[in-house]
Amino acid sequence: MKMNLRGGWVLIISTWQMWLQHRSFFFLLAFGWMIPPLISLFVWYTVSGTHAIAGMTQSEFVAYYLFFMLVNQLTYSQTNWTMGDAIRSGFMNLLLLRPLHPFFHAISTEVAGKVVYMLFVIPVVILLAPILHPSLHTTLYQVLLFIPALLLAWLLRFFWGFWLALLAFWASRADALLAIQDALILLLAGQVAPIAVLPAPLALLAQLLPFRYMISFPIEVLMGNLSLTALLEGFAQQIGWLCFTLLLFLVVWRNGLRHYSAIGG
Amino acid sequence: MTEPLVLVRNLSKTYRVPERAEGLRAAINSVWRRSYRSVTAVCDISFSIEAGEVVGFLGPNGAGKTTTLKMLSGLLYPTAGEVSINGFIPWQRRPEYLRRISMVLGNKSQMLWDIPPLDSFRVLGEIYRVPPGEFRRTQDELFDLLDMRPLLAKPVRTLSLGERMKCELVAALLHRPTILFLDEPTLGLDISMQRRLRRFIAEYNRRSGATIILTSHYMADVEALCPRIIMIHHGQLLYDGTLESLANRLTPYKILRVTFDSEHIEPIDAGTLPTGTELISKEAANWTLRVPRGEATKLAAFILNTFAVTDVTIENPTIEEVIDQLYQEGAL
Amino acid sequence: MYYLRLIKLFIQVSLQEEMAYRVNFFITLLYSLLNLAIGILSVVVIFTQVNSIHGWNFSSTLALLGTYLILGAIRAIVFGPSFDKLVGIDGEVWTGQLDYTLSRPAPMQLLASARHWRFLPIIDLLIGTGVTCAAIFQLKNGMSIGHILAFLCALIIGITILYALLLFFASLVFWSPGLLATRVFDGVFQMARYPLGLYPGWVRFALTWIIPVGIITTLPAEALVGMLSPLTLLLSTVGAGIFVIAVSLFFQMGLRHYASASS
Repeated sequence: MKMNLRGGWVLIISTWQMWLQHRSFFFLLAFGWMIPPLISLFVWYTVSGTHAIAGMTQSEFVAYYLFFMLVNQLTYSQTNWTMGDAIRSGFMNLLLLRPLHPFFHAISTEVAGKVVYMLFVIPVVILLAPILHPSLHTTLYQVLLFIPALLLAWLLRFFWGFWLALLAFWASRADALLAIQDALILLLAGQVAPIAVLPAPLALLAQLLPFRYMISFPIEVLMGNLSLTALLEGFAQQIGWLCFTLLLFLVVWRNGLRHYSAIGG
Repeated sequence: MTEPLVLVRNLSKTYRVPERAEGLRAAINSVWRRSYRSVTAVCDISFSIEAGEVVGFLGPNGAGKTTTLKMLSGLLYPTAGEVSINGFIPWQRRPEYLRRISMVLGNKSQMLWDIPPLDSFRVLGEIYRVPPGEFRRTQDELFDLLDMRPLLAKPVRTLSLGERMKCELVAALLHRPTILFLDEPTLGLDISMQRRLRRFIAEYNRRSGATIILTSHYMADVEALCPRIIMIHHGQLLYDGTLESLANRLTPYKILRVTFDSEHIEPIDAGTLPTGTELISKEAANWTLRVPRGEATKLAAFILNTFAVTDVTIENPTIEEVIDQLYQEGAL
Repeated sequence: MYYLRLIKLFIQVSLQEEMAYRVNFFITLLYSLLNLAIGILSVVVIFTQVNSIHGWNFSSTLALLGTYLILGAIRAIVFGPSFDKLVGIDGEVWTGQLDYTLSRPAPMQLLASARHWRFLPIIDLLIGTGVTCAAIFQLKNGMSIGHILAFLCALIIGITILYALLLFFASLVFWSPGLLATRVFDGVFQMARYPLGLYPGWVRFALTWIIPVGIITTLPAEALVGMLSPLTLLLSTVGAGIFVIAVSLFFQMGLRHYASASS
């Protein structure tokens, strides 16, 4: 499959424009995804009202969750319905026939989505900040580290969601697996509570699984709570999980495609 | 002289449609200043219909036929005018009125999809409060008339389009409506299904004496079913009468379409054409002529013999062409 | 009587439809149990850090979680599926299929609210009841008949407000046909998973007086643990009654708008 970059670029731009047209629909989706972290924000705001919890003050909780809403939306994996649905509905056949690798479909919907979602979430966060008074003690150094952490987190979540979506090549009900995973993310990626606040057994689980590195880790980097060793360990885990996920993705893609074509799509 | 069943006086319907201009600036402006324009869908229509008539509303797409029908069936409020059907005002949607009417909407289904048709019928029977004995009798009658027994146990989504159409008809007629509104009922059906549907409607009207009001943009529907037609165009009533008298305005003419072999277009001298022939349009090698009925074949033969021609067709005028002609000659 | 017969028939037909659709029972069960686990763990995480907040402790918050699951299940069994048929791009308002429903000689609100039922969410209903009972056993103070009666009353009030809210969002579809109104409700309803006491003051106010979604679960849970005063219960009953009547009028307004503006 040729890497038709110009065609890919055109696809990205046109998908973006199309999604902007239907932005009220996507705003609604973004609204739905924004509510759970918002709820957690309110709860921890109240709980930490009188004293700090696990070393985090009320303002720090606010800062954490406002960033969480932004990072969550920025890294959210929507390939389940862009690619998963494409496979289930037979649209993938069309994509495979195009002189453009289906990967571009995933990328173009990804870019379009993120642009439109952020159009919704950023104003909401800006609105909430003066009401809730977040506090952020961060250095330039941490902001600079935040950017690669965010990038890695996005890549990790993108490809993780992608390979799971590709399970649709074999089983049409594989989307149930993603729903289950979404529920796990709630707990282990820092949504229900920041990882530092989790009781020991859950915190350990969060350290071992990749979900923390999809959302929580970049925020932890930014908020300056991590020691040098913790930072290095975190980045190492991120890169490690990313390599593993990429490998998984390539294997699933190749085998899935073979299986899909064999059964006639 | 009994009162007509359907009385329509000066019925009008105007919509306010938000104007959405192109471009980013217009989109931003529309956030705080919505501009509207008025669209008149139906303009000052009056007519009356007797019980038991079959009337066709004819007109091109967007003419206002469906809007008129929706006002008669009570789905839409008019902007002005009065309608009285069997003493009821339709848009008050009284249950006593709604129980007397029924609709079949082309392309839209009222059947429940995943279960056999019998269950949809059962629900409708209950909603319309049809007494059980009468319900069973009506069902059986319709099943026999439409030859539906083999379909009844299969889920509706497994049925073919024609079979589904039969279900839609039964669903509409279970409560023995006295007025039946059919909105583009033959839309999307193939020719043989269209014919069967028309036969059934005519038969049903004969047997039950129900008043049937039908909208269509197919001439064939109206020709087959409606002794009386009401022609609506741009929301206005252009013609209300029998098909014969309208046909008298149509039959004098046939439409001749000629595609010349493009290298040899010579202007046809007006003198060589039979009297009454008119050139309607000329696009490169495609000419459209209106010819007096009797002269059509003669002219076609003449053209075929004289010129190099790729294609010649002889057609009846379409609704649009008739209406154009009506406009040119002034409303009837 | 006519209405009851209609509803009975709607239930029968919905049951048939649901069985024809063949949803995977075990995946649904797994998903419900997973949601339950996450819900309980979330409450655990909070109360490992504090003992109580504004009178709410682990057991009472757990009782509220159970109530939340019960109410969510009720919504998924009856009102949800019926309103889902109206909203969205493949909904009746957008496709014009509403014309058939509008022409039926039965009350439109009844048809819109109770036409379609789903019975798989009974799983969640049972799970929710189980959690609520388990939480009650955990409570230090005893259970009295008074508490149980108050709980049942408050539950009915909660269901009424739930219905009214759903009806409100669904009615918006008459002005904006493709709107996924039920999804808006979904987002809002999630705020009912924690007691109002766990939210900041201004949020508590908003969720009581502006969009009363907080009352739906907090009121029954308060009744269960004895935190509910009879006066509050009485006022809530009146308030819920007024609310549902007002929203029903709003629904009729929506119908009128649809009948003047649609083509």
